[in-house]
Amino acid sequence: MTETFLELKDIYKSFGGVQALKGVDLTIRSGEIHCLAGENGSGKSTLIKVISGAHDPSQGEIYIEGSKVSRFSPIQAIEHGIQVIYQDFAIFPNLTVAENIAMNRAVSTGAKIMDWNCAKKLALEAMEQIGARMDPDILVENLSVANRQMVAICRTIINDAKLLILDEPTAALTSKEVQKLYTILRCLRDKKIAVMIVDHKLGEVFEIADRLTILRNGEKISTGLIQEYDRKRFVKDLTGRDISESTYIPSTSDDEVFRVENLSRKGAFENISFTIKKGDVLGITGLLDSGRGQIGDALFGIHPAQSGEIFLHGKPIKIRSTTDAVKNRIAYVPEDRLTQGLFLDRSIQDNTIAASIKKYFIRGRLDERIMFKETQEWIKKIGCVAPSPDPAIRTLSGGNAQKIVIAKWLNTKPALLILNGPTVGVDIGAKYDIHRMLHQLAEQGIGIIVISDDLPELIQNCNSIIIMKNGRIAGTVESSTINETELAEMLSSQ
Amino acid sequence: MQKLINIFKKTDRIALALLVCSIGITIIMGVSHPKFLGKSNLQGMLIQIPEYGILAFGMMIAMIAGGIDLSLVGIANLSGIVAAVVMRNLNGTDFSIFPAILAALMVGCLCGLFNGWIIGYLEIPAMLVTLCGLQLYTGIALMITKGPAITGLPESFSNIANGTFAGIPIGALVFVLITLVLCYLLYATVYGKCVYLMGTNTIASRFSGINNLKITMLTYAISGIFGSLAGILMASHYNSAKSDYGTSYTLLTLLIAVLGGVNPNGGRGRVQGVVMSIILLQLVSSSFNILRVNAFVKTFAWGLILLLIMTATYLIERRQSRD
Amino acid sequence: MNNRIKNFLTTNEMIVVYIIIGLAILIGSVNPAFNSISTVVNLSRTMLVTLIFAMCEMIVIVSGGIDVSFPAIACLAMIATGNIMLKNHIDSVPVAFIMGALIGASLGTLNAVLIAIVKMPSLIATLGVSSMTSGATLAIFGAKIITNLPGKLDKLYKVSLFSYTNADGITYSLTILILIPILICLLGWLLLKFTMFGRGIHAVGGDIRAARIAGFNVKGILFFVYILSGTMAGIAGVTYMILMRAADPSVLMGSEMMVIAAVVMGGTRITGGHGTVIGTILGVTLIALVKNNLIMLGVPAHFQTFVVGLIMIIGTSITSLKAKHVANSVKV
Repeated sequence: MTETFLELKDIYKSFGGVQALKGVDLTIRSGEIHCLAGENGSGKSTLIKVISGAHDPSQGEIYIEGSKVSRFSPIQAIEHGIQVIYQDFAIFPNLTVAENIAMNRAVSTGAKIMDWNCAKKLALEAMEQIGARMDPDILVENLSVANRQMVAICRTIINDAKLLILDEPTAALTSKEVQKLYTILRCLRDKKIAVMIVDHKLGEVFEIADRLTILRNGEKISTGLIQEYDRKRFVKDLTGRDISESTYIPSTSDDEVFRVENLSRKGAFENISFTIKKGDVLGITGLLDSGRGQIGDALFGIHPAQSGEIFLHGKPIKIRSTTDAVKNRIAYVPEDRLTQGLFLDRSIQDNTIAASIKKYFIRGRLDERIMFKETQEWIKKIGCVAPSPDPAIRTLSGGNAQKIVIAKWLNTKPALLILNGPTVGVDIGAKYDIHRMLHQLAEQGIGIIVISDDLPELIQNCNSIIIMKNGRIAGTVESSTINETELAEMLSSQ
Repeated sequence: MQKLINIFKKTDRIALALLVCSIGITIIMGVSHPKFLGKSNLQGMLIQIPEYGILAFGMMIAMIAGGIDLSLVGIANLSGIVAAVVMRNLNGTDFSIFPAILAALMVGCLCGLFNGWIIGYLEIPAMLVTLCGLQLYTGIALMITKGPAITGLPESFSNIANGTFAGIPIGALVFVLITLVLCYLLYATVYGKCVYLMGTNTIASRFSGINNLKITMLTYAISGIFGSLAGILMASHYNSAKSDYGTSYTLLTLLIAVLGGVNPNGGRGRVQGVVMSIILLQLVSSSFNILRVNAFVKTFAWGLILLLIMTATYLIERRQSRD
Repeated sequence: MNNRIKNFLTTNEMIVVYIIIGLAILIGSVNPAFNSISTVVNLSRTMLVTLIFAMCEMIVIVSGGIDVSFPAIACLAMIATGNIMLKNHIDSVPVAFIMGALIGASLGTLNAVLIAIVKMPSLIATLGVSSMTSGATLAIFGAKIITNLPGKLDKLYKVSLFSYTNADGITYSLTILILIPILICLLGWLLLKFTMFGRGIHAVGGDIRAARIAGFNVKGILFFVYILSGTMAGIAGVTYMILMRAADPSVLMGSEMMVIAAVVMGGTRITGGHGTVIGTILGVTLIALVKNNLIMLGVPAHFQTFVVGLIMIIGTSITSLKAKHVANSVKV
């Protein structure tokens, strides 16, 4: 029997009247990999911040190794051996690997002199412990994301971590890198370190977790050994709904909307060909390094393809820049909403009209009144919860903001709409709205491409799915003939 | 009446605060020193405002785009010199003024395009580029003049800044015209909308299909043209052109922009605020002159006001975020 | 290993070295008088104060900021020290330097408060402080140049490390003041490379949020950086006064452009986090070489500003593009 490292009892936390956590219990034992799963807005990040001492719970008790702690601060959390690796790793790109690994320890011991030899020795020891191999003298800015993560893990190891928390550690890793990370995590578990990962991808959770806790709307829904769960229960606890097996079946048509032939860009993708007919919703999936996102970037002219042909409604078009793409009525909802999709400080109206400003230049001036009116109409049409077009878009939730990003493009009357990760960080209700909207648009004759790693989303919403591997198309499947497990297997097979 | 209240509500708070300060200074100075409201002082103010006011507009537009333009004074002097050279080579006839002005504006536009291209295409920080630009343009100016000022410009040229039309200095009319043009550009054109969006988030504007390079180059070109306009006014005012006129204007224009509510991080700033801040600073400056305060104290005061305003904004914002 | 040599040969520092060598060969072939000890002496005289400025600017830029107030601070330190010493009949070299350093440190503190506590953009804060300082300097002390420095300061000017008389009988002597920038470079190198505080400066410049999480006292580091910069500017002002045997309240104004260009050319990234002492020395050397020898190359005096501007824009473009290339290159 393993011993309990951390125990949370009946934790409540509210922010200005909003209850983020409502009586959550959590037990983490030394030498286990505990998975914390939950959709966006379920309270995962708040819970992590409570554990790391960044937030004081409004109510509830925290026990570490059996003794109760009160007035928990980040420094205390570190002293107790609790280390969190956030998604951006909080490392220094301009410093060497060895320095990054040794830095926190040196700061906490109050050292005055930078001991390069000692730092290198520590770094090599830590890397050996987890089986990572990097040149300790190299600058971190030259490392890949996976290796940066290794640096972050090494740093926690030399700080004598007893509980290591990783926030969505696989989000930016390739499949090989994920496997390597898992090997390391298992190795840490065998050293009696408690590991908690935050994840909601079904396949990954079942592969790595020993125990599982599921949060929904700030409440703990269930917790238990991974063996007690099956796919169905996991999804049900996570979303509160049963798995729906329905898929999107378009009314068949032979009108070709969009066709791509032998599209290639060196280092990103090769020989990509596909056709979208009226009513089609095409899914493109693959692992992170498969080139799925790069296709979207290329079709919108961010990083244009170097060779290959593109046809819109049968006519050949050239896309060498974003200007070309917009001219040909291609729309792109990018992957990173906060930095690529939104002008956070600007009004909802500005965000809605950002891609179609020219339209409002009437008789020598921009007509703000029409902009306002049309924005109001869009808000109503897409079911966005917003009081008026005036407030800054940062006041909206993820789902509502994403709807505005889509409206921004619908306002350009696109011929082709490409969505890269359309429902990342979007709550269930808005997700459903967005999916329904996509089907309607497809029926109206707009070509739709959904690039995603959310397999259920693809199966339910696309009629055919392209699977990418190493920059090439590894296969195309009709979504009505496949289920999630089979698709996941196709993805991970070599 | 309702309409008036609406207009009042829409005017931003910064412009209002500056307006109140301006009125306050005018009243205090007008009562204590009647000379302050005298004709010569008023005309003096109207002659000075356009010079750095137009430069401040150039700074403002660059800052809205998320950059900064420290090369404005260099562009202004270079343009003034080019205008002077053109006029001299055409024997200083009255007719030579038009090609001279045209050449000056071209120079400003070219310098701006050069700045904009390096900033937008090579993606080098605007601060660094325009800092080097200042050196470069001043250097070219120096190459042309070989040091001393170019004098002996046609008299009608000096009338541009010093002459009046219906009792109002012509420079002031130019300034009003430029203000209107700027308002149109920023509030009523596609370019204006794009500049605010790009200043707010460069990446998102690219992902919205906005051509960032084009907007950046346009922005610095406009800024450069404003620089050359100011240069023409300066050359006309002194009736000579030199490579190191107005060196204190760089800080002054930055001060005006920040005081007028332009966000140094880009994306925010309105013409009304900047105009009010130009007027306020001119009032302060004239008061100093009338009170016979040392010119160096003015430099000190500019720095102090800049730092106080920034500190006040910080304190206000911190208070708001706490609520 | 081959790779390492290749990497070493293409560092920013080495590129500047190539340019310096190329330039030296060019100047030497046009004007054989260049190939003499006097060139070194003249060069070190030109570099002396610029190097002190460049060192403080480099440390500020590494911490992720920028400082344009140092010329104003140096001018104030110079003229204030000169005036106070003359008025009170103080005649002591250490007092002069201590006074200059204290004046610099207090203005540096003002910069630090504005940047670390009020969180102003460093360019605007130091520009404001610069304006206040230069305005105050001229308002208090007037525009008059002091040329009758106290005896001991004047005497220090004549102390030289070594002198050399050429065939024509002209004597060149390397002033002892050169030890000041050498000492500052040495201490700066030790600070940046071998103390936790120095690494903290790098950390803050690399990622200020991560530095906070790592437990660095970010405010303390920023305070230190700007106070250090102010102090060094003050010392530079006094050094300049001794070197020129005069105190001029506005002579250094405008030199910030040149200093920033020298620092950036030496491989310091304007975005913060990267910068070396050697690179800074090389950057300053390059600019000084150009400034001193354009006339030897037959470039007229009034072309100098332009040529320096051209070198600045090319140099900064190369280093900025190089940094961008690193960001886009394939990761390991």
